[in-house]
Amino acid sequence: MIEKIVNPKELRHWDGKIELYWVYTSGRAGDEFFKKLMNEEKFLAAKCKKCGKVYFPPRIYCEKDFSETEFVEVSGEGKVRAFTVARLDAYEKPLEKPEIYAVIDIDNTDGCLIHLLGEVEPEDIKVGMKVKPVLKPKSEREGKITDIVYFKPI
Amino acid sequence: MVMEVEKISGLKFHKKQDVAIVGAGMTTFKRRLNETGRELSYLAVKQALEEAGITIDNVEMVVMGSAPDTFDGFHMKGEYLLDGAGGSDRPYMRVFVGGGTGVFAPIAGYWHVASGLADICLVVCEEKMSSTHPHPQSAFKYIWDPILDRPLKPNLIWIFALEMRRYMHVHNIKHEDIALVSVKNKANALDHPCAQVAERITVEDVLNSEPMALPVRRLDVSPPSDGAAALIMVAPHIARQLTDNPVWVTGVGWALDTTWWTNRDLYFPRYVAEAAKMAYRQAHITDPRKEIDVAEPYDPFDYKELHHMEGLGLAKKGEAPILTREGVTQRDGDLPTCPSGGLLGVGNPISAAMGVKACELYWQLAYRAGKRQVAKEVTTGVCQAWGDLMQVGTVMVMSNKR
Amino acid sequence: MAVGKKDIECPPYAEGTPLSDADINDKKVTYVEDHPDIRYSWTAGQAISKFLNGLKEGKILGVKCNKCGRTMVPPRMFCELCYKPIDGWVELKDTGTVETFSISYIDPDARPLPEPVIVAVISIDGASPHMGIMHILGEIKPEDVYIGMKVKAVWKGEEEREGAITDIKYWKPLEG
Repeated sequence: MIEKIVNPKELRHWDGKIELYWVYTSGRAGDEFFKKLMNEEKFLAAKCKKCGKVYFPPRIYCEKDFSETEFVEVSGEGKVRAFTVARLDAYEKPLEKPEIYAVIDIDNTDGCLIHLLGEVEPEDIKVGMKVKPVLKPKSEREGKITDIVYFKPI
Repeated sequence: MVMEVEKISGLKFHKKQDVAIVGAGMTTFKRRLNETGRELSYLAVKQALEEAGITIDNVEMVVMGSAPDTFDGFHMKGEYLLDGAGGSDRPYMRVFVGGGTGVFAPIAGYWHVASGLADICLVVCEEKMSSTHPHPQSAFKYIWDPILDRPLKPNLIWIFALEMRRYMHVHNIKHEDIALVSVKNKANALDHPCAQVAERITVEDVLNSEPMALPVRRLDVSPPSDGAAALIMVAPHIARQLTDNPVWVTGVGWALDTTWWTNRDLYFPRYVAEAAKMAYRQAHITDPRKEIDVAEPYDPFDYKELHHMEGLGLAKKGEAPILTREGVTQRDGDLPTCPSGGLLGVGNPISAAMGVKACELYWQLAYRAGKRQVAKEVTTGVCQAWGDLMQVGTVMVMSNKR
Repeated sequence: MAVGKKDIECPPYAEGTPLSDADINDKKVTYVEDHPDIRYSWTAGQAISKFLNGLKEGKILGVKCNKCGRTMVPPRMFCELCYKPIDGWVELKDTGTVETFSISYIDPDARPLPEPVIVAVISIDGASPHMGIMHILGEIKPEDVYIGMKVKAVWKGEEEREGAITDIKYWKPLEG
């Protein structure tokens, strides 16, 4: 066996970055969903033609029986299933104002959405609370999930 | 021509049951597709299920082959693709060996059925390279060693150029003979409905195309693509119920060489020869040139088809260009090679290249390739894929007689 | 289970919606763009640390394995063929032979380069035959490079060297 280097000054390392960026298309179902939201302020879900399960956000296939789905309109309102209050940002720095993230069961669908809650204080939120989406003004919408600013209590 | 005995030894081929392929499907291959990765997987699986005549409920296990997360930009890409690939509520695994995944995923599917753990296994491969910016090739910057290679600012094409130069030098092959492969495959692809870059070109077009890293020029290279492909592998008693003409998997083999690629002589793909030796031994093939009727070697570059033909034992070292020049590898020749148009003609979505390798071999042996069907009668075929820094060889031998 | 219905005329049928560059740039379809900030710090390990420190001193170091008898470069802690630790370090010469080469007109992002770069696999004198490293050739015209050419390393000045593969600027042809 030959001797190993143990002096940390002699042990070398190399720094680097991953210099890529990505452009994610929304896909067939996603494109329909975001365009409808951006242009007409309506929400689409997808109902399986065979088993009747309603997917939200919509997909072109049912994951259980692989048959096709058809788009159905829903109101976009829902109920809070769970929520959490974040006081630090992604880099562990304190936020000016705490942000509230919630899992929201969307009415008349079998799906749910994770989004922000707004116009409400953390102490007033209850599981099962009814909420509705608040959208950006039409000129600012981009066809992304951030076109919904937050969900507010009804 | 007998295969030389190399390093892999002591292999045992015990299996519980034979494996047959009864259906395959693929999406179109294009530079950029709108559908997400899950939707592409769904479209390919749907076609394969239709051809086999089964529904997703009959599928017992699923294997997904997909290239690094860096291309699609999703961490844990296998899990992301799961619901579109039919993986909900069933055992699902993801495999990846670089470009070799196109044949390695079916090999993994083979293990599932041959071991008796499943009677019906679905194999899916999907790739969405178009998400990567500034260019899909940029993701390949990270295949290189960060300390010894990346400071020199290499491009992936360099390894192909260095290998091609070595191959041409050792056997004294001219670029004109290599360009014939590109001409043949792009013309073959005109009959493929999913092709991305099918066109009729001449040897002069190839030699005058834009230089990338000499000797490699633009028309020597296959393009990056989005796409997906799927295969259904079943046990014999299921195959009997579904069809009169299943295609049997008679041999599988895979081998990798060391990462220190600069320490190897690149003119011969030893790892492909090792993998082929394994597959041929299992399939009881002793003279590949005579016993193989149709071949789909991996052709991301035109010289690669020749390089791999020699690795697979279909030609003696240095003689593959002669076979091409004499027309032996055309669809109406004695050893049709890449009748689908291969990656040069149809497109190269890394692992979804299964659609033009394993799936195409299945369609040829089942006589369902339509306009692409080769002229001669076919019994046995071989498909092969390759990957990483010239490291991986994966080989599968199929036959329509048991 | 349904009996096989192979009524598809000639599989496959092409499905999928192609998009062009313009479709994205003109926002004909919705999409999300993500610019991540991913940084790495890779350890060089025992063998390459010593190799890089050797480069700083103007030396190319290799290792040897007594079982298979190979002298290897780039160096490693264990012989990958015999699967045992290496037996010692060797200083190699800074001359070598071109095993293969290519003339590149593209940069890592596939954009065209103003001047072509000549890259080669160079087997180092003092190591076992065909033990090569990848590096750049310089002070030579592309059409004059040939396989088998003898080359010598051109180093950076002592103060500029930092213990990296780029401490060798390029390799130039050996006269005579």
